[in-house]
Amino acid sequence: MTDVDAETRKRIRRTTLILVGVALAFFFGFILMGVINS
Amino acid sequence: MSTAAADIEAHDDHGPAKGIRRWLFTTNHKDIGTLYLLFSLTMFFVGGAMALVIRSELAQPGLQFVHPEFFNQMTTMHALIMVFGAVMPAFVGLANWMIPMQIGAPDMALPRMNNWSFWILPVAFGILLSTLFMPGGAPASGWTMYPPLVLQTGNAFPFLIFSVHLMGISSIMGAINIIVTILNMRTPEMTLIRMPMFVWTWLITAYLLLAVMPVLAGAVTMLLTDQFFGTSFFLAAGGGDPVMFQHIFWFFGHPEVYIMILPAFGVVSEILPTFSRKPLFGHDSMVYATASIAFLSFIVWAHHMFTVGMPLSGQMFFMFATMLIAVPTGVKVFNWVATMWKGSMTFETPMLFALGFIFLFTIGGFSGLMLAIVPSDIQYHDSYFVVAHFHYVLVPGSIFAIMAAAYYWLPKWTGHMYNEKAGKLHFWMSTIFVNLTFFPMHFLGLAGMPRRIPDYSTQFADFNFIASVGAFGFGLSQLIFLYVLVTAKRGAEASDMVWDHPRGLEWTVPSPAPYHTFDEPVHIDRTVAFPENP
Repeated sequence: MTDVDAETRKRIRRTTLILVGVALAFFFGFILMGVINS
Repeated sequence: MSTAAADIEAHDDHGPAKGIRRWLFTTNHKDIGTLYLLFSLTMFFVGGAMALVIRSELAQPGLQFVHPEFFNQMTTMHALIMVFGAVMPAFVGLANWMIPMQIGAPDMALPRMNNWSFWILPVAFGILLSTLFMPGGAPASGWTMYPPLVLQTGNAFPFLIFSVHLMGISSIMGAINIIVTILNMRTPEMTLIRMPMFVWTWLITAYLLLAVMPVLAGAVTMLLTDQFFGTSFFLAAGGGDPVMFQHIFWFFGHPEVYIMILPAFGVVSEILPTFSRKPLFGHDSMVYATASIAFLSFIVWAHHMFTVGMPLSGQMFFMFATMLIAVPTGVKVFNWVATMWKGSMTFETPMLFALGFIFLFTIGGFSGLMLAIVPSDIQYHDSYFVVAHFHYVLVPGSIFAIMAAAYYWLPKWTGHMYNEKAGKLHFWMSTIFVNLTFFPMHFLGLAGMPRRIPDYSTQFADFNFIASVGAFGFGLSQLIFLYVLVTAKRGAEASDMVWDHPRGLEWTVPSPAPYHTFDEPVHIDRTVAFPENP
């Protein structure tokens, strides 16, 4: 992580985790849709 | 001074590592931007060579040079390489170079992940290109990978899926990095709405990437399990539905089109004000128009598959939703024209490419509108008209914008002015030949020539020959760009501002941009309140 203050570091971690969650939700969500449809 | 503080200071002052280690282990956004851009350029020439194989074969009716199966491999690989290997990495490279400098950040928020997202790409494309040498050859079912055809791919199939997964992982990590950087690393006085248009378009593009690349990954994972693990997601014989793949693919595929064009809008919105010597007309409306286009891109996917059969209500919805995109796009074109209106315009190479973009992208936009109309689309579907449409959007659209950006920021990157004469020659040759290549394809499509075929009926011979001559001319023109890049450091030294008082934080740092910039937060008033208060 780039040298930043503790507060920014915390915000960066939080935003990253949320975005990773969104990506995983789309990935597994669409596979689940395929499972339900087939 | 404490030891820790001294360490941090020492870290701040270091320059790039020496030799290959600099490029393998770098976490510097400028180095990684350079790597992305060089990789993209390489893929541009590899994909371009494949395009020339295609155009050689199509120069005359009959089979000339390649086996039809290899021709299909070329169309598939050309598309995959140009979309995922050339256009997307070029914009990510520009984002890496410019976003931290435009928002006053010292680097990307997650620099190690940045290194990883780049270095996955050469591996992905190494795997994809290796399929050319496998028994059965490379994938040949088109970049859309429709089942059941794609499941007939030979040994290359799992490699295709793996490489698409790697490209997806790389894009998702890149998108996360860009969003996190823009949301958390802006210099304090830069509110969201004050951000430059290139940053805005990339923020919106990154959200699109984050939403749709996992969908593509999900779709190809289901293809993989259908092939090797006995599932029937898309196999009709097992109760699956091949049309569902088309829906899922285009739910990814249509936003993907905007992933390749929104950053281009951002580039043009940066360049026009500089060479018109006026602020961008309607900055805020540009932001809202970009967001509207991004939103609409999620609800129009089925216009790619009108002929597959769907209820009339579905056809109506997707037709009108698609046509609606013309509204925010029209706002953008209006704003660009209004920016230039009564401006003190000059026509350096970046401006020429930006103007070429506006004229020629709009042609692609209009043919897109024609394709949105269901009864017309049923006629045009899978014809050369579609090939003409998307090449107008992607070549004089996305690629011209990438060229414009390269010429615009090159002096900031190298510290020297490029060869302007060669740049202008590159523009004019590219513009003439790009039209010679793709404009006749409209006529071919309207006359009924199908796409993805190695041979055709003799009435299509003349226009095909013209298109092939144009393609070779366009390919050769790109060697001028290579010449400009090779000689980029031989020109006169560039000033810090490079152009005539451009706006933006990137022009406040020296040329070439130092290895580390904006280690301390900056005040933006002194840089953007211009040209009213130069």
